[in-house]
Amino acid sequence: MITIDQVVKRRRSRTILDHVGFEARPGRVTAFLGPNGAGKSSTLRILLGLDHADSGTALFDGRPYRSLSDPLRTVGSMLEGSGAHRSRTARNHLAWVARSNGIPQRRIDEVLDEVGLTKDGKVRVAKYSLGMGQRLGIAAALLGEPEALVLDEPVNGLDPEGIRWIRGLLRGLADAGGTVLLSSHLMTEVADVADDLVVIAGGRIVTTGTVTDVTAGYGDLEEAFFALTGGTR
Amino acid sequence: MNALRAELRKALSLPAVWAGLAVTLFGSTAIAVLNSGRGKTAFETALGGMPLGTVGAVVIGVVAFSHEYTANNADAGGGRQITTTLTVTPQRIRILLAKVMAIVLLVVGSAAVTLPVTIGITHLIVDTTGPGVSFGDAIARCLGGTLYWTLMALIAFAITVILRNGVIPLIVLIVNSSVVSVSFLLSKLTSLAFWLPDVAGLRLFSDVMTVEGALDAGPGGLVMTGWAVVFCVAAGFVFTRRDA
Amino acid sequence: MRLGNVVLSELDKLRTLPITVLTMAGTITVAAVIGAAQRRAAAPVDVVPYVQAGFLLLGILPVGNEYTGRQFRTSLIAVPARGLLAVGKTAAAVVALMLTAVAAAAVQYALDTEAEGIGRYVGMTAYLMVIGLLAYAIALLVRHLVPALVGALCLVLILSPLLAGLTEHARWLPDRAAAELYQPTDAALTGPLVAAAWIAVIGAVAIRRFHRSDG
Repeated sequence: MITIDQVVKRRRSRTILDHVGFEARPGRVTAFLGPNGAGKSSTLRILLGLDHADSGTALFDGRPYRSLSDPLRTVGSMLEGSGAHRSRTARNHLAWVARSNGIPQRRIDEVLDEVGLTKDGKVRVAKYSLGMGQRLGIAAALLGEPEALVLDEPVNGLDPEGIRWIRGLLRGLADAGGTVLLSSHLMTEVADVADDLVVIAGGRIVTTGTVTDVTAGYGDLEEAFFALTGGTR
Repeated sequence: MNALRAELRKALSLPAVWAGLAVTLFGSTAIAVLNSGRGKTAFETALGGMPLGTVGAVVIGVVAFSHEYTANNADAGGGRQITTTLTVTPQRIRILLAKVMAIVLLVVGSAAVTLPVTIGITHLIVDTTGPGVSFGDAIARCLGGTLYWTLMALIAFAITVILRNGVIPLIVLIVNSSVVSVSFLLSKLTSLAFWLPDVAGLRLFSDVMTVEGALDAGPGGLVMTGWAVVFCVAAGFVFTRRDA
Repeated sequence: MRLGNVVLSELDKLRTLPITVLTMAGTITVAAVIGAAQRRAAAPVDVVPYVQAGFLLLGILPVGNEYTGRQFRTSLIAVPARGLLAVGKTAAAVVALMLTAVAAAAVQYALDTEAEGIGRYVGMTAYLMVIGLLAYAIALLVRHLVPALVGALCLVLILSPLLAGLTEHARWLPDRAAAELYQPTDAALTGPLVAAAWIAVIGAVAIRRFHRSDG
């Protein structure tokens, strides 16, 4: 269970997040939607303890990320791409990440296989395409067999086959009782996989609810999205 | 011409280039001030900070190219500026020439400010009675120092192009402008080492007495220029033939 | 979260980056080549001043590598307790520096025409580690490889000798103070303390920033 409550973040005089609050529940896929610059990544960065919130809390089962011991065993996450050093091979990248959380090294083979990078494990990350980098980021997120998954724009750079694969992966995790939170600015990509929606615009949550709740009264999710975020076609 | 303007603009928008310029100006001035009152003439005092100018020039030469290869989105799929540069100006030799000219302008500009400032300051605080250098001599050595900085910047630039790596030229060239210069050590083994680029050009600005056995300013300057040309030609050869 | 795991993970990071391994090997090679050259030139063999640059780079790499891409974000996600991350990283840096420093001192010992007391070689090892840690602290403060490298090289190789020729107060500079570790003086203890104080102050400011800043 992910609980975000009254989170405020200011940069200089600008308020980036204005009392942001929502929940992502176990057994469900929660999609965090909003246009570019709406505050999705800022929220996730605070949730993962990378940035400080000026006020409010962001918790995993009641605990802030920074207080988790061996956090990768509780929460798997990926923010924009692989987060790996260019000159390292994928395998070596996963090796140090696993080691830091005391995750057995056999998991490296397992996750590489799971994301389809087995034969590219010994290639330096600099040679990876955008989609491969994305898969490596997901591999790192899966290392600790976490019960919660937080992914920022996971479909970015993936080909249609990859998008289908990740939908299946997320669905499977949620069906097994896991908590899945993913952000996206492409509503059509998440419509099929998400159970719950959280829509953010201009640093404020504009609506939350199940896909049916949110789209009620609109033709489809896309129409609902533009109406709620104040965008124009 | 547009390529040169673009390169100057790129260079001047890099904080590292400004840091290089600042090291040259403030570093040299600070050393000159500390150097005063050591019984040297005002002019020698002013030139005491030359090594810092060399560092500044090397930094400018290196980052003028190395920033092209810094991925702005540094993990997989990250774009590097070199791709943009090459699509904007596909003639690679033109890019290199524009970069060379931009570096020359920046380094000569930094020398044109730094040298008069340090000389002016030392003349104010050092007792200028007694024998000094003749005006012609002073001008020659200032121009020599400017040439030395410029050539060092170009050599740094060319090595960076060839290796696609800025760390190695930074270390090698900064070490060699320090007291633990490897070229200097080599010159104790063989007089051939006086033909190495950094030692060859030393007399362009330094006192004749300081480096025993080194080439004179004229031939030394020519040798150093030759090195810079060789390095730059090699850089051009490599840069036009490899994939970005 | 165990410190041991964090240290091992930081060591993995260093070991699997080609540039760290190349820097270590390069530094030892430079020591051997320079020492041999000095011996041939019948000059006193002293490799320490020439390998300093290698130790400066080696000290900077553990931090510099984090910021050349987005790896730092991954590090914080894997080890969100920043104090623990800083301690683990420092320990790994010390290990890498110590291995290289011991090798450099061994090269000096092998090339010395008449070997001196063991104390001198221990002192050299300690001095080179201090130089590396100084660079490490600077990198932690500055965060980026190139400015940290230029700053550290200028401080130790250019400014320090220039200032030493100008004023006796230069002995308060970190590298001059640390040099007392292997150059016999009457006040053998103050120097290392001064150097340690430099590293502690730079490191403290850096860690304070490290703790507070957004990743």
